[in-house]
Amino acid sequence: MKTINKLQSDVLIIGGGIGGLACAASLKEHNPELDVLVVEKNFAGYSGKANRGGGVLQYFDLNRIDPAEFAVFHANAIGAFLGDQELMMKYVSMNTEMLDKLASWGVNLPKNDDGTYHVMPTGPMTAMICVDLDITLKVRKYAEKLGVRFIDKTALAELYKDGDHISGALVYSILDGELSLINAKRIVLATGSQNYRIGSMWSSGRGDGIAAAYRAGAAMRNAEFGNFAQLAKVKSHNEIVFGENFMYNAKNEFITKNFREFRETDINSNAIREWYTQMTAGNGPIHLDFGPQGGDDGALERLWNRPYGHKFRVLNDESGNAVDTDLEICPMFIGEQSPIMVGHDMQTTIPGLYAVGDCCYSGSGLAGAVPAPPGRNRGSGILNAVFDALVCGEAIGTQKIEASFGAISDAAVEKDVNALFAPLDKADGVSPVKVIEFVQKAMAPVELSVWMHKDRMDKAMGFVNEAKKLVPQMKAKDWHELLNCREAEAMVLSAEMHYKASEMRKESRGWFLREDYPEMDNKNWLKWIIVENKGGDMTLSTMDVPIAGWPAQPQN
Amino acid sequence: MINTKHKIEFDAEKCVGCQQCYKSCFVDVIRWDKEAKKPVFKYVEDCEHCFYCQSVCKKDAIKVVPDYSSEHLMQSFEAYK
Repeated sequence: MKTINKLQSDVLIIGGGIGGLACAASLKEHNPELDVLVVEKNFAGYSGKANRGGGVLQYFDLNRIDPAEFAVFHANAIGAFLGDQELMMKYVSMNTEMLDKLASWGVNLPKNDDGTYHVMPTGPMTAMICVDLDITLKVRKYAEKLGVRFIDKTALAELYKDGDHISGALVYSILDGELSLINAKRIVLATGSQNYRIGSMWSSGRGDGIAAAYRAGAAMRNAEFGNFAQLAKVKSHNEIVFGENFMYNAKNEFITKNFREFRETDINSNAIREWYTQMTAGNGPIHLDFGPQGGDDGALERLWNRPYGHKFRVLNDESGNAVDTDLEICPMFIGEQSPIMVGHDMQTTIPGLYAVGDCCYSGSGLAGAVPAPPGRNRGSGILNAVFDALVCGEAIGTQKIEASFGAISDAAVEKDVNALFAPLDKADGVSPVKVIEFVQKAMAPVELSVWMHKDRMDKAMGFVNEAKKLVPQMKAKDWHELLNCREAEAMVLSAEMHYKASEMRKESRGWFLREDYPEMDNKNWLKWIIVENKGGDMTLSTMDVPIAGWPAQPQN
Repeated sequence: MINTKHKIEFDAEKCVGCQQCYKSCFVDVIRWDKEAKKPVFKYVEDCEHCFYCQSVCKKDAIKVVPDYSSEHLMQSFEAYK
């Protein structure tokens, strides 16, 4: 058996993006005595998505907006009554606390001369604040100051339980394969969503934490809402946020009017369906026309001074603009599957195992029938992770933690190590890229994954099954490629969950669109679909949404 | 993205070995040569053209040159017509 380092930590956090880092900081603030270790696949503070996106934080004026009011608006306009309204009210009510907490951790939140936050309205109830893209570096620095330990360039392989309770994790260096078995009293997954390596900035989300939780027996919820897509320029693939408000077909007909009456801040899946409908009717290509005022890609950069993020954004825009000779657009499938099921304390269905951020956004039930942020709720991505982190930090940080560590079975570890390294030992086999190609064929075409129909989903499942067959044959020439193998396997699992849950949900709701079941069915489908691993078999069941007593109720 | 053909141009003369590019790569394209104290652009086929390494380099030693045609969004345009 290979040499394995034995490590211990009261709390092990896996993932060093904004969710994991904020959780680490919050834990130490609640209980400075806790030994907190963050393990990150690349470099904590540089990883994740918070430092690569628009850098916006949702803002609620709590002097004006009642959390219940927003929960009702959200249930009607976005979450389609599938969201946990109690959790949504808590999220809204903690808005000021979250912003102040980030500022106290050293994050640069622009302020007006009078000391109030510099806010831009985005809707009748919402607004946003820009944040510089060194946000995660600032929080890492603060967490380090509090004594949080870090291990970088190290990936999660498997999770272990002692009886029902979480007891540890097997991790490996992606540089040299060095193995570590970490005994931990609590584990927090902050490993991000599943994005199948399609969209550029979204590519850190590869679902390895979701897969490890699933294998360990944690339940998944809302796996079918992992089909986010955005409009992108056809040549550069740069996304055009807000572009769905300006769509025209080849006959120069304004096609946005076919799916929305007024401009909205966020894309919805009807825009994706419209693109597909126009293309198949021979009305393509589809382009944007912003009218005399033109597009406004640089609006955020002019409104806020963000020295760290500025160069990064400008390089991206300039490079893209050099090849974008027109404004032809197409959908870019992103995914954002985030199904790890957690309760109101961010604990999964495995006692002692918690999750925060984009690995459990849908799984928390917070937003209902919509994929992870932006998920038609702009600015909620970073703040959702911070929300989860503060809730989780308080839940664990105020617990009386037992003195002893749980056991980890040597036999289980040996079996997992052999399975982990198996692709390295193969003389012949297939590249993980081959497996990922099949998964991308299943997920990326929007008529399969976004504008769904049973016949098309069956076709997609055919690709998933092709990928699944190749998984045991994957071969890796080095540690980097071994990581690709593990991620490919996680992608196959996510795609399978997506299509099995999507076929089960026989209705359309919120972002979720089925051509063969176009109506929302509150009689039969005010339910969450739960996916679980039972003895190696993927099982699906439903759970009623406990909507009685919540502020918003469907009318029919 | 998989199997991209983006290029990363690197000027070793300008590099001062600060490791910022190595740390900034969120997809493990860049490795670190401890002896030479320079980055190694080892897995360029996995580059996502995010420009983070270029933007954090204070010495302008890195230039990412995207080949956008090597990225595939997998929307089958021809099949729709």
